[in-house]
Amino acid sequence: MIYRGQKLTDSWRIALLAFLFAAGMVYLVMSLHRVQVVNSADLTRDQVRQSVRRVQVPGARGRIFDRHGICLADNRPSYCIAYYVEELRQRGQWQRTIDAVDADIDRLAQVLGVPREISKERVALHVRASLPMPLLAWSDVSEEVVARWAEEVGAFPGVDIYVQPERYYPQQSAAAHLLGYVGRDRPKPLPGQRTHFYLPEMIGKAGVERQYNDMLTGVCGGRLIRVDARGYKHAVWEGMPAVEGDDLRLTVDLKIQAALEAALAGKRGAGVVVDPRNGEILAMVSAPGYNVNDFVPAPSTVIWDRLNNDKELPLINRAIQGRYAPGSTFKPVTAIAALTAGAITPGEAIHCDGVFKLGTMRLRCWNTYGHGDIKLRKAIEQSCNNFFCELGHRTGYEPIRIVATEMGLGVKTGIDLPFEAAGLLPTDEWKQRNMREPWRVGDTCQIAIGQSMLLTTPLQMAMLTAVLANKGRLYRPHLMLRDGPGECVREIHWPDATINLVRGGMHDVATSGTGRRVQIRGTQVAAKTGSAEYDSGGQRKKNTWVIAFAPFEQPEIAVAILVEDGISGGYTVAPLVHDVLACIFGETPLAEGEKGPAWLMGRGAGD
Amino acid sequence: MIKLQQILGSLRKLNIPMFACMIGLCVTGVMFVYSACSVREDPDLQMLYMRHAEIGLIGVMFYFMTLCLNYRKIMRWAWVFYLASLALLVLVPIIGSEQMGAKRWVFGVQPAEFAKLAMIMVLAWLYGGQHKLNGTLLYLATGVLVGVPSLLILAQPDLGTAMVMVPTTFAMMFVGNIAPRLVWGTFLIGVIAAGTLLGVIYAVERVDMPQERREALISATHLKPHQIKRLQVFMFPDKDLHGSGYNRRQSEIAVGSGGLRGKGYLKGEQYMLGYLPPSVSANDFIFSVLAEESGFIGSVTVLLLFLGLIWPGLWIARCCQDNVGRLFCVGVVTLIFSHMFINIAMTIGLMPITGLPLPFISYGRTFMLTMMLALALVQSVSIHGRKPETTFE
Repeated sequence: MIYRGQKLTDSWRIALLAFLFAAGMVYLVMSLHRVQVVNSADLTRDQVRQSVRRVQVPGARGRIFDRHGICLADNRPSYCIAYYVEELRQRGQWQRTIDAVDADIDRLAQVLGVPREISKERVALHVRASLPMPLLAWSDVSEEVVARWAEEVGAFPGVDIYVQPERYYPQQSAAAHLLGYVGRDRPKPLPGQRTHFYLPEMIGKAGVERQYNDMLTGVCGGRLIRVDARGYKHAVWEGMPAVEGDDLRLTVDLKIQAALEAALAGKRGAGVVVDPRNGEILAMVSAPGYNVNDFVPAPSTVIWDRLNNDKELPLINRAIQGRYAPGSTFKPVTAIAALTAGAITPGEAIHCDGVFKLGTMRLRCWNTYGHGDIKLRKAIEQSCNNFFCELGHRTGYEPIRIVATEMGLGVKTGIDLPFEAAGLLPTDEWKQRNMREPWRVGDTCQIAIGQSMLLTTPLQMAMLTAVLANKGRLYRPHLMLRDGPGECVREIHWPDATINLVRGGMHDVATSGTGRRVQIRGTQVAAKTGSAEYDSGGQRKKNTWVIAFAPFEQPEIAVAILVEDGISGGYTVAPLVHDVLACIFGETPLAEGEKGPAWLMGRGAGD
Repeated sequence: MIKLQQILGSLRKLNIPMFACMIGLCVTGVMFVYSACSVREDPDLQMLYMRHAEIGLIGVMFYFMTLCLNYRKIMRWAWVFYLASLALLVLVPIIGSEQMGAKRWVFGVQPAEFAKLAMIMVLAWLYGGQHKLNGTLLYLATGVLVGVPSLLILAQPDLGTAMVMVPTTFAMMFVGNIAPRLVWGTFLIGVIAAGTLLGVIYAVERVDMPQERREALISATHLKPHQIKRLQVFMFPDKDLHGSGYNRRQSEIAVGSGGLRGKGYLKGEQYMLGYLPPSVSANDFIFSVLAEESGFIGSVTVLLLFLGLIWPGLWIARCCQDNVGRLFCVGVVTLIFSHMFINIAMTIGLMPITGLPLPFISYGRTFMLTMMLALALVQSVSIHGRKPETTFE
């Protein structure tokens, strides 16, 4: 086509261009299809991965009750003042946001009249590492502070009250060692889920809280937070709800626990009350104690240092961790061993002249003048050292060791508490290895009266008492209340005559012997006192013991109490056992005009 | 009366589909600029969509005013427009205002956008004019006419705008059959040059060589560091996801997570959470916002709207009875197609990142106005170009 002498451009060139453009369009549609349809799922996942943060939220911790349902450990709401940093975000460098939050905390501290709890470094760390989470500027504040904050709420955007559960022990210092305490830590990761943040979970650090941590701890829930490109929280939605932990019911009877604690108040020592019929621990005390609530939310450094540096070691649970020579409370074991081995008959007397001589060894009986000719039952009642040294010498160590092992000494009782000590029931081999000395006959005589290398825990002695009480059944002591009979570790078959003789001796101890002070009106008690000498910086001191069970015929209670640095078992500890038993069984009041026995007034005989 | 009749007659010949598609794209643009800016904190920036709509309305007014005029009369003044835009371009480095490291604005407009239209006009006028210039001379003239403004634009720096002139010029020369051998030769050289550049980038990244030689090779390309980085990201998309590859990656996530149907209007997460940087989500990366919220269906709809501009544009060119009109239409259509193709391909990682707006949808007032005027002239070609010019001089 010619137009004004000019040839028009070829139309096929335009068509070719149209074809190219169409091809380009098709290419774009195909590419968009690949990205938006084929790869959409992958890219959506990538988007979720970069913008969604999973937060682990622990479930409420289970509570702990005593056997009658009185609460020993509970959760209470703890009010924290929290900063939501996204409300205070500043443009530009992170430091500007950190500065803004830091300045705001200073401002709020002035308004609330409380000192700052977190440093600027802490704020910086929070902004850098856990931005979408609330920053707890003050933890566990008083209601007064919350009220003051509520008045000023308008002036502080981005600040809110954050409630978190905190452990609370309504009985204050009661059963402190038993219950233990909790700390806060990262919860157990949920299987198969990647979590970015977590709210710290309470984790048992000692005692029952530690032992039954898995049970008390619930199952973590998940919360999802959508964050923007800078990491600030944009939206939150609850995912899986957290599951509460199970409650725990203990065998402990708070009434007995309180009585035992009152008895041991102001002393150093430990006491265990156990039910000899099934091994349930009814009370367990270690003195001196502490208030567990001081450990919530975390022990302050002042309290921690004080407790840790205290010479009286309040943090140790003496009932299961303290290792003491049992002294004369071991004598029933020797008696049983001797009778079983046939080293003595019930009617056979041994002469006591106040001092036991064996080679160069001299062992004094507490009765300087001697007990004269004395038979087994009387020897238990009077706790004659001569008699039992001689008995040990006659019996030999091996039968004694076997009976002691059977009754649970030298090994852990297996109580459901962490960090239990095993005590020590030495052997020849042990002595060779640890003291590089051969076993001597003197060692046997010493151990026969509960001295020398022999070490037991108060819990072991309580269990031993329970075995004497129930005539040969060693139960596993436990703190968790459960249905059914107790777990019997061992059933020991002693001839009735043997066990009855020893029990009879112990009955006499409580009636007319060294442990008269344990007596309560209305219930027959059997007991054995003991004092074990130990060397403390050159001074001879005594750890004083009483083991007892009651009622004599059908025992329901076995007690072992130890007091460090006492005068004697009969004088120092027996009244404490009396108080505890009186609390359990009640004591028929004195009739009008009747006086208590005279010996209650004066200083009693030794063990 | 005659005048009014003329105007009504013109309007009757208006290419309706093309106009409708343009309006459709403008409305889409306002919608998604609103979407992208709704998350901005600055109230001025939140109102960006209003300014987009305003310029759209003003543009439509100019559109109707322009299409009533005979393009032949306008084309005669092409060189005046060209010189005017060149003058504005020269002013940019002198009194221009700077935003985000680039000096592109003068008197509140981007002369580079006007220059694109002016270049197309002057080339159409040159190729279709009644002169006896031979091919070589035309080729050289093209080089100067396109080269001078392009260099000024490159210096701003605005690589994308300068780059988009390459296919446009080629298309016009191809359709006009200007100096075919020279054009094809240049095309080949261009392809080889681009291949070599990408080869160098590839070698620097993948071939084992001492560090000095790497640096020597990079400096031999004479590209700016950020341009090198963009090319590296294009070739190795996973290289630096938190640095220079970040925008590409986030844009791809936005487009891809839209899926088939999209997340729904105002529900796009990538721009809302700021993963797609707010500074680019309303202009260069508006397509990512659109694709995330409206999905594959939405993206294809937008492509069809563009097809509704390109197809009638080429048809008008074919029907036009003089070369100036034909070449002008081809130039405008190629420009729009190039913008669209490069922009969309860039958001899904098929092209290196270049700051090219998506016509009518991206926020950019000068560009919007320019594009509307260009399409108005195409409409004018449609109305007035069917019959040969009948002037009696």
